[in-house]
Amino acid sequence: MKISFNWLKERVGVECGAIELADMLPRLGIGAESIESLGPAFTGVVTAEVLAKDKHPNADRLSLCQVSDGSRTYSVVCGAPNVAAGQKVPFARVGAVLPGGKLSKAKIRGVESEGMICSCKELSLEGDASGIMVLDPATKAGQDFAALLGGSDTILDVEITANRPDLLSHLGLARELSICLGLPLKERTEPAFKEDDSLSSFPVDIPSPGACPRYVGRLIEGVSVGESPDWLKTKLKAVGLRPINDVADITNYILLDSGQPLHAFDADLIEGGRIVVRFARAGEKLLALDGKEYPLTPECLVIADAVKPVAIAGVMGGEATAVTARTRRVFLESANFTPVTVRRGSQLLRLRSDASYRFERGTDVSAAEWASRSAASLIASLCGGSVRVSPALDVYPGRREPSPIRVTADRINSILGSEFPRDEVHRAIEAVSAQIRVEGDVLTALAPTWRSDLATSSDLAEEVARILGYDRIPSTVPSSALRPIEELRSLAVARKAGSRLAALGLHESLTYDFISEKSVSLLEVPEERWVRLANPLTEDWTVLRPSLIPGLLQSLRRNVERQAESVRLFESGKVYLRDASGVRERPHLAGILYGPLVPAHWRASKEKTGIFEAKTILADLLSGVPGLEWTTEGGNGGFAGENLLLPGSRVFIRNASGVLARLGTLHPKLARAWEVDREQPAVFELDLELLAEASSGPKVFQPPSPFPSSWRDLSVVIRDSVPYADLEAAIRGLRIAELDSVELVDLYAGKGVADGHRSLSLRFVFQLPDRTLKDAEVSAAADKILAELGKKFGAELRK
Amino acid sequence: MATSDWLAAFEKTAAAIGAWEPSSAATLSALDAVRIDFLGRNGRLTEVLKGLKDLPLEDRKLYGPKAQSARAELEGRIAARKAALESHRDLSLEKSGVDVTLPASPALRGRLHPVTLMMGEMTRVLGLMGYSLAEGPLVETDWHNFEALNIPAHHPARDAHDTFYLKDLPTLLRTHTSPVQVRTMEKTKPPLKIVCPGRAFRRDAVDASHSAVFYQMECLAVGHGITFADLKGTLEVFMRTLLGSSTRIRFRPSFFPFTEPSAEVDVSCLLCGGQGSGGGGKGCSACKQSGWVELLGAGVVNPAVFKLVGLDPEEWTGFAFGIGIERLAMMKYRIPDIRLFYENDLRFLDQFDEDIL
Repeated sequence: MKISFNWLKERVGVECGAIELADMLPRLGIGAESIESLGPAFTGVVTAEVLAKDKHPNADRLSLCQVSDGSRTYSVVCGAPNVAAGQKVPFARVGAVLPGGKLSKAKIRGVESEGMICSCKELSLEGDASGIMVLDPATKAGQDFAALLGGSDTILDVEITANRPDLLSHLGLARELSICLGLPLKERTEPAFKEDDSLSSFPVDIPSPGACPRYVGRLIEGVSVGESPDWLKTKLKAVGLRPINDVADITNYILLDSGQPLHAFDADLIEGGRIVVRFARAGEKLLALDGKEYPLTPECLVIADAVKPVAIAGVMGGEATAVTARTRRVFLESANFTPVTVRRGSQLLRLRSDASYRFERGTDVSAAEWASRSAASLIASLCGGSVRVSPALDVYPGRREPSPIRVTADRINSILGSEFPRDEVHRAIEAVSAQIRVEGDVLTALAPTWRSDLATSSDLAEEVARILGYDRIPSTVPSSALRPIEELRSLAVARKAGSRLAALGLHESLTYDFISEKSVSLLEVPEERWVRLANPLTEDWTVLRPSLIPGLLQSLRRNVERQAESVRLFESGKVYLRDASGVRERPHLAGILYGPLVPAHWRASKEKTGIFEAKTILADLLSGVPGLEWTTEGGNGGFAGENLLLPGSRVFIRNASGVLARLGTLHPKLARAWEVDREQPAVFELDLELLAEASSGPKVFQPPSPFPSSWRDLSVVIRDSVPYADLEAAIRGLRIAELDSVELVDLYAGKGVADGHRSLSLRFVFQLPDRTLKDAEVSAAADKILAELGKKFGAELRK
Repeated sequence: MATSDWLAAFEKTAAAIGAWEPSSAATLSALDAVRIDFLGRNGRLTEVLKGLKDLPLEDRKLYGPKAQSARAELEGRIAARKAALESHRDLSLEKSGVDVTLPASPALRGRLHPVTLMMGEMTRVLGLMGYSLAEGPLVETDWHNFEALNIPAHHPARDAHDTFYLKDLPTLLRTHTSPVQVRTMEKTKPPLKIVCPGRAFRRDAVDASHSAVFYQMECLAVGHGITFADLKGTLEVFMRTLLGSSTRIRFRPSFFPFTEPSAEVDVSCLLCGGQGSGGGGKGCSACKQSGWVELLGAGVVNPAVFKLVGLDPEEWTGFAFGIGIERLAMMKYRIPDIRLFYENDLRFLDQFDEDIL
């Protein structure tokens, strides 16, 4: 909210400057967002009279003028064609500070000039810049020109929290400064005008008093609507409001001064001469003052005449009944509407105003009558010579006594952890209360009508802390029973898996939870499983991600665009799928591998990253769950979009509870869609929830055998169609006790190996825990393996 | 074996040994072949020495030492040759040294995201202070995100929470981590001390300081007789541990519906140390010359919240605070734009690491 420092000073005796005041506001809980200086950007300019104009002796286009500021006459060189003797002009004496800099004595074409007659442009004022400014001939010479223009002001932009609507006005802020800083409030002049008892307000009917606790109406006749006086226009402009006409300006002025929104209707356009505060009927519409037509619903409270709505209560008036230059009779509304009613209407219509902003936070119900009188008084004095004002019709169905708050100083101190003396606590509460009563230790406070946020002892504790200072509260730490600190399994698994992936050379990424419909379509996720946003921020962010891969692809693409050669990223985060119960939100971990294994380097291999790196990474991750048993069969499980992976290049890892993970080569159509198809990215994705549920076996040390191992390398030639896994399974199926491990040490196809075949070099390591193996035993085991592979797959020893 | 035969064999071997010229062994392996030839398990000299035991005692006494000294002498010559060859090899290795200034290949280590590092550090410190981790769903109900936190429908405080709603569902994306407070209090009887880090969402237009997705960390303590002073002390310890022991913190009154009293908490600017100006009297841009940076919101749990989650507000008291993680990381590492956290440019990610000092 914008606060004019000049205006504020009319309400409270501020001793310090605007900047110092702004520095004090945060301690009171008022945010000072910005400070801006308004008004003339010059000093030292006075009004003056041009006594005489002569030609400059050395220049045709210049003149030499004699200028008087009333006390002295100056000799001034002037270049403006419009300068003439007898004119009143703004005159900058030597030493004046202008927007363009400080003015010093100067010789112009050999003649000394003791100042400058100013144009609009030189003073940064609006107006004709072709010549000097010529002022009203009646202007007295010698006045400070800046002051004549209304002087300067400082505008504070303050941020008021939602619980303090009472601070949303100059008066409200003044009151707060008075309470908290002890500054003297300035007396308010009582509105002075004579009510004309022969006139009466329109009758006001409130069928829904729950939505409108108070309505003060007043009829004003004999109004002639015109422009507001300068002081009023200056005030409104200072805080960013455009002056409209004097009646409208007065209602805005009262709003900004006191916080009470008002509305003025053209009384002659109120049909039937009566006011009904009711909820709108289905089908009703209103063309509002902003020029837009709003379809109204039964949730909208309206001000209606006998026939139609004429305003959206507390939000905005209607165009049809607006006060215009033709208006002769005004109906003035000063009402109180309940916050929820106004907020609901304002949100439904997506229409907000200074009035609705205050009403939805809560205005002071007691201010309505005073505001009506103040406005009427101003209208009477400013809008025409023969204004007649009716007495107020004050319909006040929502009158309520404030409920007393009972507290003790001990209670306040026990909330704050402070040791404020009783007297100080009482004085602080008294300062913010309408009334207090002390009986023994118990203090009973009544909150002022404008402080509806004060209802409990906690509320008063905050006031005490605020007034006595948060810095006076000591610092302690809570004593608490010692409990074992448990790390959440779900968070632990994500954290530890992340650390492991970083150790394995992947960079952790964070991507947005939102993706585009195009992306979900590319993943081939069925539409009924999409979780859509009702109010997306942009068209690219309409669906919650069913997989982490699209986000990683986006990050990969950005890095590739920035010439990154080798990119390995992972993300740990939530994925979302729609199901019968609503949204299935699961923690996933995914990674993407792209480009050469190692960035170009003189010692580096040129190997590309691919599916086998993904396998290495996943196997290492899963080895972090001791005792986890898994196989690589199975379908897609709970993962979104089977065709994210290239058919034929994908692996699914399953344990007893389901598909834990998948990995493979990214489907080329996705690589193309994200323009990362120069390489073949490999991806992996893991269901962290399933992983966290997997039981990890006890970790028990296995002593390595003290006896030497023996090994045999065998190269077998076998048909391409036999998967390696089958081969290994067959070997394991033999259950050879001496066989410690099998390692594929080489893979070859080509010259020397028949078409459709490949040669696998396997290294078998044999070892027993309790003795050294004899050579014959090792050979026998190797023969057994060869025989099995021959029998099962037609494998032969490579020659 | 007859002594004469043995003697003949010995003389023959001794002659061969005598004829061997150590310099004829040009390499260590050639030298080793010589050693094996004479001294190996079945070496010539070894065989001769083995034959000693078959001689009569007097002969053994007579020839034994002779044979042993022949072996010792050979061993000595071999050792001397070996030392010479080794030092020669060392010298040539020295001479053929590599260009040690060639660049080594970089370690293939990845990095954790700065948000993760920051979050880890924060939860670590609070863990030491006795807080347990808690979490909740990102897709939340209106009850947990708003109602139970004393933010009823049509409360103007909702203005500060531009909310994403889900289509055809009664749920929303949580706008803060505070709903985890509610969920924890609903299912766990106090006393409790929890810390809940995680994502939150606001429907804010994305710019240098606003992100529709961001990380927050909520901290809640509920017990008997917990006060605003406890909140102050806890935050001081936490912030000083996290940001350095000279960090100062400042409380300003504020408003959150779920805490009363509420406060905004500022910490002394990390950049200028709270001076409001940098070296040479220049203004500090990080804190807009104020010396303070607004960092988090905090307060004493509003008794209304206890009532809403089914705890007795007469019995329990507590405090809560919530802190933006990117904001803290931005301050700590002087990162100018929050969007950098979500672009995942390797040149950004590479700069953050678990430093060892």
